[in-house]
Amino acid sequence: MTDAPLRLDGVTKRYGQFTAVRDLSFSVGKGEIVGFLGPNGAGKSTSLRMALGVIPPDEGSVSLFGAAPEIKSLRRVGFLPEERGLYKKMTAEDTIVHFARLKGLEKSLARKRAADLLEATGLGPFRKTRIAKLSKGMAQKVQILSTLAHAPDFLILDEPFSGLDPMNQQALEDLIRAEHDRGATILFSTHVMEHAERLCDRIVMVARGRKMFDGTIDEGLNLLGRAARIAVEPGFDLGAALAPKGFVAERAASKGAGETWRVAINKGGSAQDVLRAAIEAGAPIVSFTPEEGRLRDVFVTLAGEAEGAKLDEEKISAKDAA
Amino acid sequence: MLRNIYLIFRRDYLSYVRAWGFWLGLASLPIFMMIGAGMAAAVANSSPQRYYAVVETDGRVSEALRVKFAGEAEEMRELTRELTERAGVETGATGAIRHDLPQKDRFIEVPAPATTIEALRPYLLGEKMVSGPVGEKPLFAAFIVNPGTRDVEYWSTDVSVGDLRFSAESALKKSARQAALTQAGLPADFLDKTDDAAPAVLERLVRDGGAAEAQSAEVSLADRMPRYVSLGLSYLLWLMIFSVIQYLLMGTIEERGNKIFDALLTSVRVPELLTGKLLAVFGVTSTMMLVWGAFSLGGLFFAASAIPEFGDGFGAMTATLLDPKMIFTALICFVLGYVLYGSVFLALGALCDTIQEAQTVLSPMMILLMLPMFAIIIAFNDPGSPVIEAASWIPLFTPFLLILRIPNDPPMWEILLQIGLMALTTFVIVWFATKVYRAGAVNGATAGSAMAGLKRMFGGKAKAAS
Repeated sequence: MTDAPLRLDGVTKRYGQFTAVRDLSFSVGKGEIVGFLGPNGAGKSTSLRMALGVIPPDEGSVSLFGAAPEIKSLRRVGFLPEERGLYKKMTAEDTIVHFARLKGLEKSLARKRAADLLEATGLGPFRKTRIAKLSKGMAQKVQILSTLAHAPDFLILDEPFSGLDPMNQQALEDLIRAEHDRGATILFSTHVMEHAERLCDRIVMVARGRKMFDGTIDEGLNLLGRAARIAVEPGFDLGAALAPKGFVAERAASKGAGETWRVAINKGGSAQDVLRAAIEAGAPIVSFTPEEGRLRDVFVTLAGEAEGAKLDEEKISAKDAA
Repeated sequence: MLRNIYLIFRRDYLSYVRAWGFWLGLASLPIFMMIGAGMAAAVANSSPQRYYAVVETDGRVSEALRVKFAGEAEEMRELTRELTERAGVETGATGAIRHDLPQKDRFIEVPAPATTIEALRPYLLGEKMVSGPVGEKPLFAAFIVNPGTRDVEYWSTDVSVGDLRFSAESALKKSARQAALTQAGLPADFLDKTDDAAPAVLERLVRDGGAAEAQSAEVSLADRMPRYVSLGLSYLLWLMIFSVIQYLLMGTIEERGNKIFDALLTSVRVPELLTGKLLAVFGVTSTMMLVWGAFSLGGLFFAASAIPEFGDGFGAMTATLLDPKMIFTALICFVLGYVLYGSVFLALGALCDTIQEAQTVLSPMMILLMLPMFAIIIAFNDPGSPVIEAASWIPLFTPFLLILRIPNDPPMWEILLQIGLMALTTFVIVWFATKVYRAGAVNGATAGSAMAGLKRMFGGKAKAAS
């Protein structure tokens, strides 16, 4: 047995000529909240389905709680698929009970859990309502509750926030935090970076079926290189003034008084180093703003790199074919 | 594993039986039987009374028809009396049923309002009415006898109702025969008596065990019952498979359409899912059959208690059904037949997003299912037909045809071998259906992609062979 609830080791999945996931390796440690990020079509859902044993990888291996995924280990997992679906004629309560019982809960306990969860999420009055008569958001909540009802050790949520309004997105974030506090390990996929920034201990970014990054959010932000924005009085060439001190400055769009320059922070340095160098260079500083790193920029950059790599690969393939 | 199968079975079963369509289907047999019986009675009682006229000089046609209709009415009264007496119903003037009441005549003779077809035409077309015992009505038909040739012309505006013409033909033949007999100095019932005097051909059955006594060799309803029962069981199996197609397809299409498979497959294995679903539909059909069977048995019990001959048949039917060979074979055929066809339909459903899509892939299966139905029809006329015997070796038809063969007492090795082949085929088909089901449920394969896959498979083989 291993502490890591999930470990993917060099998994590849092909559909005919198309490679959906390529040599993907990552693991999810016990008690972590891991964000599985990537643009649409990056291979996130395919990877998660392989992680659950729904589809087998063509290459590589998957380990769920230390062994290949099987029904016994899957009972410790709660899975919310990307494509939501429930039995339309079943009531909200019966749906949760049914899925909880399939995960091994006894009938009475499943009923109690269903009632508690429905009450806690404000769906108590709708427990006997058929899914077909619930709003889309409510039905989605019921599906999420079906995933949680058996108090799983490991939650795998595929795009859990999609289709939810901001209120329900916030409620789901709270729910994820609550599950994490209970001791559950959580892996969720998304292409909305803000959720990942708020929730995750660690992120795994994929694009074009490849892993582009695996690390903490800070490590991710460092990938792009940080910067500071300095506005100086018009006519002063900050680029030329900072160049001898080893800083690269570029003109940026000005929003307030003065001319704004974007100065890259050197690796291992800080915004203070940039400010100090500007003062030493006699720059007539009007304002100074350290730039806040954004995961979204990292995401866009990495996805762009993956796209470029893919194009290069296609060019090479075409050349080889010729 | 069993728990998962039970949970899938339970959910599917309850979802089917909670639907109003199920209750409608359940009530349909008794309702249709009652409606059918009611309609038959209504048709019998509501058949219109029609007027006819005879234009003749000697009253020959008129008299022949009068005698014929009077005889038929007497026969009907006699039959009613016999049936009610057998049933033990109190009869007579003070009893519950009176058979001394006059029968309602379907055709009533009225005096001819004219003697030529030209003059009769307005009455036949309903432009003019004739008076009769049931009021004024148009003339339904007219018989005009040619005085020279003695040919009888039958005139009517409705030739689709031929009863009156046939009655006239039959009555005139009988009348002519009797006249000839009288002319020859023979009594009028001479031919009837001659027929009665002819030796009867008695049907006897050669039985096993040397029971050669004429008494025991007499053919009774009990001897014919195995054939009727095997036909009934075979048809029941066919009906059951035919009626579950929709349930099997709809259940899977709903799950595919609602994207439930991924959530399910992280809790249950594909074979568990397939088994649970098959059992659920089997449960639904069994519930339906049980209710219909109970209703039919109730009717049979009632009929058996009312009519002694019916009781004998009922006893014979029970004895046939309890025959170990029949029970054993029928049970295996029902289970394997259902699993074989059911798994195919489940797999097809997993490839389709809509019922319209399913219909396109259903056609070949429906043709396949119609073939045993033809065999059942052949077996009804000739149960020992070599066609049935040969076709029963085709595993897809064995479930239906082996049951049909049991009354002919085929050798035990044949029965066991056919069951073995059927079991093997069922295993292979279930294995293949599981693959197709998985492809549809997990990988979203469609009917089109499955066909392309098959083509690739066979195309690949052909290429390799060449």
